[in-house]
This record gives sequence, structure tokens and C-alpha cells, in this order.
Amino acid sequence: MLSLRTARNPLTVVALALALLAAGAAGWGGWSWYAAAHDESAGYAQTRDDALQAGEQAVQNMNTLDYKRLAHGLDSWEASTTGDLHKQLTDGRPQFEKQIQQAQTVSTAKVLSGAVTELDERTGKASVMVALRITVTAPKGKPAAKESRLLGELTRTSGVWKLSALGQAPVGNTAS
Amino acid sequence: MSTTRHLINRQRRLAAATPVTAVRVKPRPDEEEPERDVPQAVAGPVLVTEETAADGETRAAARRSLPRGARLPVVLGLLTVLLGGFAAYAGTQASDLRESSATSNVALSDVARTTEVKGQVTNAVNSLFSYNYANTGTADRAARTLLTGKAVQQHKDMLAAVRAQAAKQKLVLTTTVTESGVELIDGNRARVLLYADQSNTNTAAKDDRTTYAAAMFAVDVVRTGGSWRIANIDTFTR
Repeated sequence: MLSLRTARNPLTVVALALALLAAGAAGWGGWSWYAAAHDESAGYAQTRDDALQAGEQAVQNMNTLDYKRLAHGLDSWEASTTGDLHKQLTDGRPQFEKQIQQAQTVSTAKVLSGAVTELDERTGKASVMVALRITVTAPKGKPAAKESRLLGELTRTSGVWKLSALGQAPVGNTAS
Repeated sequence: MSTTRHLINRQRRLAAATPVTAVRVKPRPDEEEPERDVPQAVAGPVLVTEETAADGETRAAARRSLPRGARLPVVLGLLTVLLGGFAAYAGTQASDLRESSATSNVALSDVARTTEVKGQVTNAVNSLFSYNYANTGTADRAARTLLTGKAVQQHKDMLAAVRAQAAKQKLVLTTTVTESGVELIDGNRARVLLYADQSNTNTAAKDDRTTYAAAMFAVDVVRTGGSWRIANIDTFTR
């Protein structure tokens, strides 16, 4: 009875076809949204980018220091680090403050490039390479720029990536 | 007497009149459900059943809203708009998630591809920036097969000084990549950050002088024919 009635009305036929199309599109859209939101590799990629961003920022903070704003700079060092590195910084802070105040240097850093080399999402550990240009301005003389090949270890503490180790990439006589 | 006769006659007239009304109602061709009208007419207004009452109400409601033929298309139209809206929203959300820069970059998340890029780029850099005055063919072959685009000229410029003095000083330049990190892999494009040690030995000098240097640079690579070629060398110069 209904189908007969429907068939008799072309408007109903068109409306039904459109509704079915829309239902199909909605089903497909919903599925692809769900799939995209639950994509494991996407989550990993996001973690990698978060770690790199935090790592680059932390490395930059650690190479930026203005003797006129010493407390602010060193607070930022401590905020960027965790673990052993953090402990070293807090332990050595009084002595370091004295040195910088005497030297009256201003250091600024620019990240040239950075990459994550290792990432363990589960344990919250990552390794990063950060190519940095550091410019040090002393009271006398021109600002001196040097490039720095840094290797850092990151540890995730309460959802935030912080540096747990930082050092220069070793230069050796590895070439033979 | 006349009263009784008059009454009987009146009843007869009424009895005769009722079927006439029913008959007149019944054959109306445009009436949808004519059968229903018969008992109603016969029983008179006193005996309106529940069924007829309900039916009358439904029909009244239908008459108040849209014409019967337009109701279904309108409902379907609304459904189309709602479903279509959801489809559009979900599609946008999905493509936002997928096309975010994080997801299109498979560095590290695609382990096999990352290892492949690291390995090939490390080998390419080691051979491209190593030069032996006694065997210049190796360096030439490396330059021919591992470079593409503007990296060809960049590499030529970088090695120009070494090439110029190689024969006279009997130079042996060796480059060893010590650290490499894949910044990006997006389809057939990738970018790798490299730290390398370089040793340059002047074998013509009596004391076999060797100088060491630390290098850092990044390369943009493209994948052509199954192998990665260096397309740009970024030495971070200002």
C-alpha cells in the first residue's frame, strides 16, 4: 500500500533517494571520523611532535641567559628540566649566578633544526637532536656566534616533556 | 384514531426516508472509506462508536496539517538535512585529524621507512663528502647517482676547494655521519638532520697532517626509483 502510494508521488521518491544518500554519507563520515580519532600511529605522531616541540623549547631555554634577568633565566632552566639534570642545576645555581654576574654576558639561542631520534610512548622517554646557534654578548667585544650540535634526553613528567640530559654531540676521530 | 394512524404513517415515512439518506451518502465516489458511513447513518447520531470517533479525529488532524501526499517528503527532507549535516561535520573532523601535520609526517611512526631513510641518507652523505685524490671516480659516481636538483650545484661548490687542491696535496677527505635524525617523511619527501665528523688528511705533507672538523647540516631528500636522493643541502647559513 505504502510503496504504491510512494511510487505514485515522484517527490516522495526523490526525497527518499536523497535521504538514503545522506544516510550513506553520514555512515561513511562517522566511520572515518572514528577511524581517524582512534588511529594509533596518529597518536604516536602527535606524541613525537609534542616531544620535539618541548625538547627544542627546553634546549633554547637552557642556552638563553641574560645577566640582568638572571633569576628569571635560571627559573626557566629549572622549569625545563627534570631528574639528574634538574638536580645539577639547582645544586650549582648559587655558584653559577656569581659567575654570570661577574662575566655580564647575555646569551641568546636559535634552534636551526631538530629531530626526534627515539621515542618510547609507553615509558615516556625520548631522544632529540637539536642544531642550535648560540650568540653570546660580553660587555666588551662583538657578539660571538657559535653553532652547537646538541643531544638531549627527554622524560615525560605528569604529561609534560622535560630535559633529563643535555650535552654536545662528541667529536671524535671516528673517521678513519 | 386518527392520531394513531397519523403516527404510524409518520413512522413509515421516516423508515422510508432513512435508507434514502444512506443510499445518497454511500455512492459518493470521492469519499475514501464509504463503508464506514453506512452504520453511522443507520444507527443515527446516538450510536457513534469509539472507532468512528477515533477515525474522525485522525482525519481532522490530517486535514489541519499538510496534505497527505506532502507529509512523507517533508519528513524525508528533514532527515536528509540532518544526516547530510552530520556527514559534512564528521567528514571535516576526520580530514582535520588525518591531514594534521603530525599525521602526514611518518618519521619514527613508520619504523621501516624511517630506517630506510636514515640508512640511505647516511651512506649517501658519507660517500658524497669523502674524496680521495687517488680515486676520484668514486666521488664522481656518488655525485652522479645520489644528488638531484639544486643539490648538484651545492655539492659542487662545497667540494670545489678540495678538488682544486686534491692532486697537489694528495688530499684524503673522509666524512662519517655520527648522528642522524629523521625530521620528516611525507610520501616521497623527507628531511634528515645530520651530525658528522670530517677528517682531511694532507698525505703529501711530511708529517701526514690531518685536520678534524665537526659538521652539522640537514638534507632534503626525494625518493625516485626506490632510492632516496639528496635534493637540497641546508648548512644553516644566514
